[in-house]
Amino acid sequence: MLDRHVEDIAHLMRRAGFGLTGLELESHAGRSYDEILEDVLHPERFPAADDDIYDRYQGTVDEHEVHSAGLWIHRMVHTQRPLEEKIALFWHHVFATGMSKGEHRHSSNRQIDMFRSVGLGNFRTILLELSMDPAMLYWLDNNENHKDQPNENYGRELLELFSMGVGHYSEQDIKMAARAFTGWTFKQPIPQYTQGSYPAEFVFIESDHDDSEKTFLGETGRFNGQDIIDIIVKQPATARFICRHLYNFFVADEPQVPAWNQLPPGDPQAIDIMTQAFKDSDGEIRAVLRVMFSSDFFKQAKLRRVKSPAELVAGVLKLVGTEPVPASDITRYSAATTFMGQILYDPPSVEGWHTGHEWIDGGTLTERVNFAVDELADKNRIGVRKIIEALETQGESLSPSELVDRGAMLIGALHLDSVTRRALIEDVSVDGDLSLSSMGDSANASDRIVSLLQSLVSCREYQFA
Amino acid sequence: MSRPHALLRAGFPFLKTLGMRRVTNHPTDVAVASDDTIYVLNRHALGGHVTALPFVDPGENWDQYLPRMGPDGWGDGEFIWPVSMVLDEDQTLFISDEELNRITLIDREGAFISKWGEPGDGDGELKGPAGIAIDRDSYVYVADALNHRVQKFTKQGKFVMSWGGIGQGDGQFNMPWGICVDENNDVYVADWRNDRIQKFDCEGKFLFSLGMSGTAKGEFQRPGGVDVDAHGDIYVADTGNDRVQQFDQNGRYLEQFFGDATLSDMSRSYLMTNAQSLRLREMSELEPQKRFRSPRAVRVDDKGRMFVADFKSYRVQVYQKEAIPLDASQIAQVPRSPTLFVN
Repeated sequence: MLDRHVEDIAHLMRRAGFGLTGLELESHAGRSYDEILEDVLHPERFPAADDDIYDRYQGTVDEHEVHSAGLWIHRMVHTQRPLEEKIALFWHHVFATGMSKGEHRHSSNRQIDMFRSVGLGNFRTILLELSMDPAMLYWLDNNENHKDQPNENYGRELLELFSMGVGHYSEQDIKMAARAFTGWTFKQPIPQYTQGSYPAEFVFIESDHDDSEKTFLGETGRFNGQDIIDIIVKQPATARFICRHLYNFFVADEPQVPAWNQLPPGDPQAIDIMTQAFKDSDGEIRAVLRVMFSSDFFKQAKLRRVKSPAELVAGVLKLVGTEPVPASDITRYSAATTFMGQILYDPPSVEGWHTGHEWIDGGTLTERVNFAVDELADKNRIGVRKIIEALETQGESLSPSELVDRGAMLIGALHLDSVTRRALIEDVSVDGDLSLSSMGDSANASDRIVSLLQSLVSCREYQFA
Repeated sequence: MSRPHALLRAGFPFLKTLGMRRVTNHPTDVAVASDDTIYVLNRHALGGHVTALPFVDPGENWDQYLPRMGPDGWGDGEFIWPVSMVLDEDQTLFISDEELNRITLIDREGAFISKWGEPGDGDGELKGPAGIAIDRDSYVYVADALNHRVQKFTKQGKFVMSWGGIGQGDGQFNMPWGICVDENNDVYVADWRNDRIQKFDCEGKFLFSLGMSGTAKGEFQRPGGVDVDAHGDIYVADTGNDRVQQFDQNGRYLEQFFGDATLSDMSRSYLMTNAQSLRLREMSELEPQKRFRSPRAVRVDDKGRMFVADFKSYRVQVYQKEAIPLDASQIAQVPRSPTLFVN
C-alpha cells in the first residue's frame, strides 16, 4: 500500500508537472508537502532549460510545427521547472492560438515563451502581454482592427473565452472593447522568402486608434486596450471564470467551457475559495495556485482528471527516461499527442481543447495505451533499467502482491483500484514469485518486470492524473 | 609554405551572398573545391544534403549545379543530422553525422564512397561526431562531441589516438564542435560549451586557449566553428553571439563580423516572380536581414575568402580578406610599449 504523504506528492507533481518516477518520489519523501509546493510554485529557484543545447541539435525547429511541439514535450520531460511548462500548457489551452493560420512559427514559439515567463504572475499582466502578442493579434484579426473599420474578433474572445465567460457582458461591451484595441498590431516582419522568417514585434499605431469616449461594463472614458484590461480584471466574473479554468486544468474535470453558463461547477465551494484567493491577491495566479494545491479539495481529487495527451506522453517519457540532448525523432512525441487528439500549437479552435472524458474514445484510448506499452517495452531504456535495478535490490524474491505494489510505486505511486490490483496480482501469480537471487534468471526476471510495467500503464488508473 | 613576418591588413569587405531558402536550408558547413564550386552542407529537421553552387552566377548553365547529394535517411550516402564537411586533396567530401555516429565519404557528384564509425565511447567509437578536419599527413580529426574528446583517424577510419575528456581544464572539453588544422598540423577545437577555442599539436599536446564566456570582443557564446587561414589568423563562428570573430595567430583579437548580406543571385530571381513577397519586403524593416543568425561554421579558402554558414538565414555570406604580406625589412620591430608618437 502507498504512503499517504508520498501519494500526495505524486498527485501534486502529476498536476503541477508531468509526474515523478517512484525513485524521484522516494528522494522527496523526507520533505514536507508545503516545502515541495513552494519549490514548485517558484520555478526560478531552479535552472532554466538549456536552450543552447536545443538550438544546437534542434536548430531547425522553426521549420515545422510538429518540431516545435516535439521539442516542447522534450522540455516537459527534462525541465527542472515543471510548473513553468505546465502553466504554459494551461494558457495555451485557455488562450488557444493556432499556428496553422499563419505558420509564423517565431510568433507561436514566442507566445509559449511568454506564457512561461508571465504565466504565474498577475492576470492583468498576462492579459496585457496576450493583447500585445503578435501570434494572438494575427490569430484573432486584431491587425485588421482599424479605427475606421473595427474588427470585433479579439474583443469578443477576450470577454467570452479569455476572461469573463458568456453572460457577463453585452454586445455593446464587445464593440467598445474592439474600439479600444484599434491600433494594437504588429510590424510587418520580413517574409520568409528568401532568407527565412523573422520575429514579429508589437506596435501601437496611435493614428489608427479610436481615442473617442467609450462605455464599457458600466464605466465611461476614452479607453485604450489597457484600460479595458484593467476593468475586466476587477470583474467578479473574471475571477470566477479563470478559477474555474484553473480548477478544470489542475484539480478535476469540469464540463466543457461552452456549458459553463448553464452548468454549475462540480465543486462550487472550491471555486469560491479559489476566487477569493484571486481577489485577495489582486489576480496573482501563483497565489491562487498556492491556495488550490494546499487545499483538501485538491488532495482529495486524485485520479479525477483524465490526462491530456501531452501529459500522458510527457509522463511516459519521464518514466522511461530520455537523453537530455533532444533526439532526432522528437516529432514522434508530437505525432503521438496528435494521434491522441491534441496537436500542440494547433488547438482545434479558439475555444481550446475539450477535456476530461472527451480525450477518450476507442481510437485515442488505443493510441494512449499502445504508446505507453511500446515505450516501456525496451528494458534498456534508462528509466526502465532503473526500475528493474530498484526491484532487484528488494531481496531474494518478491511475491506477486509485493511485485505489483512495488511496481505501482515505482511508476509514480499509482493508486490502483482494488479490482485492478487483484487482477494484476492474479496475472503475475501465473509465474509465481519473482526470483531475484539467481543471475541465471535475471533476464527472465527483467522480462517479467517489463511485462508488469506494461500492464500497469495499460490500466484504467494510468489514464488519470 | 611559411607564414609572412607580418601583414598590412588592408580590409575585409563583404563579397557576396550564396543560396536561399529551399536551396541552402540551414547551412551548417561549407567546403570550397579547387574549381571554385562551393559545397554547402544543409541540415533538415531529420535529414540533410549537400548542395553544389557556383561561386559566380553561371547564367543559363545552372543545370550543371544544384544536385542534392545525400537524401535523408539511414542508408549509405544518406544523412540524418549532418554537422560538418571537409574536402580532401582527392576532392572527396568527408561528412560527419551526429545522429548516425559515422563519417560518410562521397565524391563531388554525390556518389557514395564509404563510411566509417560505430556508436560508443571506446577507442574509435563515436557519440555525436561534430567537427571534422584533415591534416597535411592525411589524418582525420573528429570532434567527438558527446564523448567530449577529439579522435584522430586515418582516412579509412582506423583509430590512431584521442585526447580530451569532459571538463574545463586545459585539454578538456565540453561538447566540442568545430575543428580545423593549420599548415603546421596544429589542431584548433571550438570547445562549444566551455566557450573557448583550444589549440593543440597533432599529438594532442595543449598549446593555448582563446576566449571565455561573454559577449565582449574576444569572448564567445557557444562557438560552433573555427578555421585558420594561410597567415595563421583564426576565425571563430561565435554562434550564440550571431557573429564571426577574427584573431591573429597568437590569439590577439582583430575584428568581428556581424553580417552584411545582400540578396543572392538566385534570391533576386525568385523574388522578381513573387509579387506578395516583394510587397511584404517593402513593408518590412530590412536591416536585420543583413545580419548573421546562428552562424555555425566559418571556412577560409586559399584565396582569402571567408565563407560563413549563416544557419538560420538559409545562406552563405562571403567576405574577402585583403592583406599584403610583409617581410622583416618592411615593418618596424615590435616595440616594448605603445606610443603616442604621431607618424
